Amino acid sequence: MSRFTPLEVTDVRRETRDAVVLTLKPDPADAEAFAFTQGQYLTFRRMFGAEELRRSYSICSGVDDGCLKVGIKRVEGGAFSTWANEEVKVGDHIDAMPPMGRFFTPIDPATAKTYLGFAAGSGITPVISIIKTILAREPQSTFTLVYANRQMHSIMFREELEDLKNIYLGRLSVIHILKSEGQEIDLFTGRIDDHKLDALFDLWIDAESVDAAFICGPEALMLTIADNLRKHGIADEQIKFELFASSQPGRAVKPAVSRETSVTGNSCAVSVTLDGATRSFTMPKDGNSILDAAVANDMDAPYSCKAGVCSTCRARVLEGEVEMAVNHALEDYEVRAGYVLSCQCVPVSDKVVLSYDE
Amino acid sequence: MMNDADTMSIEDYLAGGGKLSSPDNVPPRYRAELLRLMSSFVDSELAGSAGFADAINWAPGISQRIAASRIVLEKAASAEKVLDLMEDFGTDKALYNRAHDWATRQPRDAKVDPRRQGGDMRLSVFHAPLISWTDACVMNLLMGLATGIQLRELAQVSYIPLADVIRDIIPVEARHKELGRVGLVEICATEEGRSEAAASVDYWFPRVADSFGAVGSGRFERLARMGLRHRSNKDQLEEWTQAAQAQLAALKIR
Repeated sequence: MSRFTPLEVTDVRRETRDAVVLTLKPDPADAEAFAFTQGQYLTFRRMFGAEELRRSYSICSGVDDGCLKVGIKRVEGGAFSTWANEEVKVGDHIDAMPPMGRFFTPIDPATAKTYLGFAAGSGITPVISIIKTILAREPQSTFTLVYANRQMHSIMFREELEDLKNIYLGRLSVIHILKSEGQEIDLFTGRIDDHKLDALFDLWIDAESVDAAFICGPEALMLTIADNLRKHGIADEQIKFELFASSQPGRAVKPAVSRETSVTGNSCAVSVTLDGATRSFTMPKDGNSILDAAVANDMDAPYSCKAGVCSTCRARVLEGEVEMAVNHALEDYEVRAGYVLSCQCVPVSDKVVLSYDE
Repeated sequence: MMNDADTMSIEDYLAGGGKLSSPDNVPPRYRAELLRLMSSFVDSELAGSAGFADAINWAPGISQRIAASRIVLEKAASAEKVLDLMEDFGTDKALYNRAHDWATRQPRDAKVDPRRQGGDMRLSVFHAPLISWTDACVMNLLMGLATGIQLRELAQVSYIPLADVIRDIIPVEARHKELGRVGLVEICATEEGRSEAAASVDYWFPRVADSFGAVGSGRFERLARMGLRHRSNKDQLEEWTQAAQAQLAALKIR
C-alpha cells in the first residue's frame, strides 16, 4: 500500500508571479521509490489546522535531469497551493507518495517519432517533463508544443522552453497562444477553439505525421482539442489526456459524524444513497454486511471481491457507527474521513446513513 | 488558470467523450463502475486460466500441450496487467489472488444464472467445467470470439490506462482463440471427432451467448454516460453469433 515519505525542499524557484517550482530530494534510502517516468505526478499531504489535505502536482523535470521538481500554480482559495507559493522554504520537508500516473508513451531511442503536445497554463508541468525526456532519449524524434496562456508574463517555463529549442536545434517547436495579449500573428491570439485548431493544422502542423499527442488542460478545452484531433485523423489510442490533478475540488476531510451512537436495539435503520437516490430499510444486527443488506433490498450497489481487498464497494458513512471486519484496501486517512468497505461493514448504532456517491 | 470560462463538471466532460488518466480525478461512482469492470475482467481471466490448467494434461500431443500451457500462463499474465491498474485505486494485489478459488466450477449440468454467482466477478460461462480436450478447444474458440468483441468494446473505455492495457491484451486473446480453432481443425478431421465437437458446441454456445449480459440492461445507459460502455449487449451478441456460426460452418460442425 502507498505510504508517505518526507522529501526535503532543496530549491524554491519563482516561475511566474503565481507559480513556484520546488526541487525535492528524498532520503538516499527512498531514492529508488522516487525514480519516476516522464509525465507522472506526486501526491502530497499536509495538515491545515485539524484538516489533512492531499494534493497532486505533476513532476516537471525530465527523467535525465537528475532531480525531482514539481511546478505548483497558486489557485484562488487553494490552501495547499497558496502555502507552497508563499511559505515553503529551502530545508522544509513535505510528505509525498511515490510517483504515480500513466500520462506517457514508452521511450524507444531507435525510433523517429513526431509528437504533438497541447498544454494550457499549469498543464505544461507534465508536458515539459515529457518533452525533456523525449528530446534527451529519442534523438531522432521531434515535438511540437501548442501552449495556451492568458498573457506573456503568466507563461510557466518560458525561458526553459527557449533553452530546450536552442539545445535541441530543430527538434522542438513551440507555438504560444495568448488569450488576452495581441501577437504579430492573429492566429496566435485568443482562445483555442475548433476554428483556430483547424487553422493550425492547415498552416503549421502536419496531422498525418503525428505519432502521439499529449493534452493537459481544463476539461472543456481538452474535449475541444481531442475532437479536433480526431477530425484530423488522429486515432483515440494516439491521444493521451491528463486533467489537472488539482482542478477538481478536493474532498472535504471530516470524520464521520456520530450523531447517534446509542446502541439499544437488535436492528438498524439504514439509509443508503446510490446514484443520487436514497433508499431506507431496516436490517438485523446479525453480522451481515450493509452491502449484502443493500443488495438484498434490490440496490445495485458496487462490489467485487467481498473480501475487503479490492475497494470496489467503498462508501462513506455520513451518520452512525459501523464496524469493519477486514480492511486491506483503504488507507488510514480514508477511514478517518468516514470511508468504509461496505462488504466488510456491520452496523453498530441503531441508525446508519451511508453513501456510495461521495 | 484558464478555468473561468472553461469550467465543466467531470460528468459533462465524460459524457462529452472526455478521458481520464489518473485515479485522483475519478468521481466516486465512476471509480466504483470502473473497478467493477476491471475486476470482472481479472476474475474471468484468472478463472479462465485456472480452468484451462486441466487441458494441459488432456492435450493429445506436445504442441497442443505447449499451446494449453501458454493459454494458462498468458491469461494469468493478462489478469495481472489489469490488477496492476486496480492497485492504483487501493486494491491489495497480493491478497486479491487469494480472495477466491479460481479453479472452482459448478456441475456440468448446473443452470448458472448469467448474473454474478458467489464471491467473484467472473463471467457466468467460467463457472462451467471443461471435460475433455475437444471440449476445451470448442470453449476456447467460441469464448475467444466473444472475448475479442468484448475487449474491443473495453478498449474504448474512458479510463486511458485500462484502454491501453486492453489494446495490448487483444492480440494475446486472439492467439488463444486461434489455438482453439487449430485444435478443432485437427479434431474435426474424423467423423467421430466432429460429432464430439458438435455436442460440445451445443453445450457451450448458449453459455457463451449469456456472457454478453442481459439485452436491454439499464446499466448500459449509465455506463455509456461515463464513457465506460459504447456498444449495446445486443449488438455485440449479434456480431458474435454471426462470427461463431461462420467458424462452425467452416469446420462443418453446424
